[in-house]
Amino acid sequence: MKLFLLLIPFFCFAKTKLALNWKPEPEFGGFYAAQNEGIFKKYNLDIELIPGGAGQPIVQMVAAGKVEFGIASGDEVVIARARGADVVSIFAVYQTSPMGIMVHESTGIKQFSDIFNTRLTVALEKGLPFFKFLEKNYDFKNIKVVPYNGGISEFLRDKNFAQQVFITAEPLSAKRENAKPKSFLIADSGYNPYNVVLVVKKSFLENNQKLVEAMAKASYEGWSHYQKSPGKTNVLMNKLNPTMDLDTFNKGAKLQIPLIKVKGIKIGHQNKTRWAKLIQQLLDLKLIDKTIESQECFKNLH
Amino acid sequence: MKSKFIYPILPLIIISLALEILVKTNFFPSYLVPAPSQVFKVLSFENLSLWKALGQTSLASILGFTISLVLGVLFAILLSTSKLIEKVFYPYAVFFQTVPIIAIAPLLVIWLGYGLPTIVASSIIVSIFPVIANTLTGLRSTEKPLLDLFRLYSANPKDTLLKLKLPFALPSVLVGARISSGLAVIGAIVGEFIAGGGIGEVVNVSRTQQRVDIVFAAVFLAALLGLAFFLLIDFISKATLKAWHASER
Repeated sequence: MKLFLLLIPFFCFAKTKLALNWKPEPEFGGFYAAQNEGIFKKYNLDIELIPGGAGQPIVQMVAAGKVEFGIASGDEVVIARARGADVVSIFAVYQTSPMGIMVHESTGIKQFSDIFNTRLTVALEKGLPFFKFLEKNYDFKNIKVVPYNGGISEFLRDKNFAQQVFITAEPLSAKRENAKPKSFLIADSGYNPYNVVLVVKKSFLENNQKLVEAMAKASYEGWSHYQKSPGKTNVLMNKLNPTMDLDTFNKGAKLQIPLIKVKGIKIGHQNKTRWAKLIQQLLDLKLIDKTIESQECFKNLH
Repeated sequence: MKSKFIYPILPLIIISLALEILVKTNFFPSYLVPAPSQVFKVLSFENLSLWKALGQTSLASILGFTISLVLGVLFAILLSTSKLIEKVFYPYAVFFQTVPIIAIAPLLVIWLGYGLPTIVASSIIVSIFPVIANTLTGLRSTEKPLLDLFRLYSANPKDTLLKLKLPFALPSVLVGARISSGLAVIGAIVGEFIAGGGIGEVVNVSRTQQRVDIVFAAVFLAALLGLAFFLLIDFISKATLKAWHASER
């Protein structure tokens, strides 16, 4: 009982949680910048950034109210909504999804479709929508698909090994290990969902309009800052995630600039057409069995 | 005999009904907990991939379990031959008990490649220790007067082992086998997470696609597989021990 009383203040002053779906890396740079540069504080936000790991069901955690904010991919949002989880994307970090496939330069592969005409072992996450998209649009008979287990050790060992990557991360690590990787964006083959989107439960948004708006604005400022000067934030993230070295952090932050800032679009903004296209693609791939309103998937608040 | 099966099925029916009502009335959202009827539908109508996966996992578990049983008993016999050998090697047997399989499974892929060998290895690593530990206990607990009797007739060590110590250890071996049979299934599924195929891959893929119904169906099949193993060992245990051991009389 005493312990319980002691815990009460802890719950009352609990921070607002933002669950990330991976360890601190440049893809979350703007959020860490907002933390580090006092931007969250400026907007009266007390945000706790919670690093995640593979397979964490962030969207479901947000929908179940375990965390207030979470990071997901655009397709996860659509699938969750089609299943009745009322989550909304309020900020899309990547206009161009950084998901790609990395091969060894020595394979002589020149363009994306060459990957499927080469005898390769390709590590892919079969559950991800892009896998189904590729399966539908390319012939897989030349490649052997194996589970994607993270890391690049198998890639380094085997010249005929290819794998899915965030083109801002693994290819840099591979280069540091003296491999000669070449990467291709999956977005270029026609499947380009918004990625690293900030999601919130709709009922939470409606009841805490001010807080969620402040979160969107702070994220925008955080990302604008990180795009221009990521240095200090990278030092911080490197301390939190020492498995990635500082040089890779800096290179990654630079590489991702054009994927985040597209001419004519404010950082983080989303539009209806792109969500509608994604919904149609997921319908075609039978990953959702009924259509949903594209308008309901997102909200631009900044 | 009939009632024996009805008793354990009753709670399953009651829990399923309760869950069905809770999900259908939206007390639990269906994206967090699937309705049992939906799980059942997946099991019966979903393409054959789930059942194919069960076949793959069964094969890997049976291989893993059998190898664990054979190697485990042999290793325990070796340990029981001398106190020195036991002191030197037993700590390594304990190593299998504590090894975090999730951590070393990715290494297994690098050593053994994608596919069955990695999955079977994972299954063995997880399931071998109970066999070793229980067999060793059994071998050590031969009754002293019986050992004296064998010595009196100057039986050689081979006969003492085969005709006295091992039969005497059988109940313990079977206890170890019972524990390890369930672990062999778990080990195989963990292996499949990393090396592909089977129920492990189904769980992995459907979790990513937010299909909790398929995840539950796959877990249900895995549980059935574990149960089948358990019943098999139970049957063997009854058949071999009924005549002379108190535990099965």
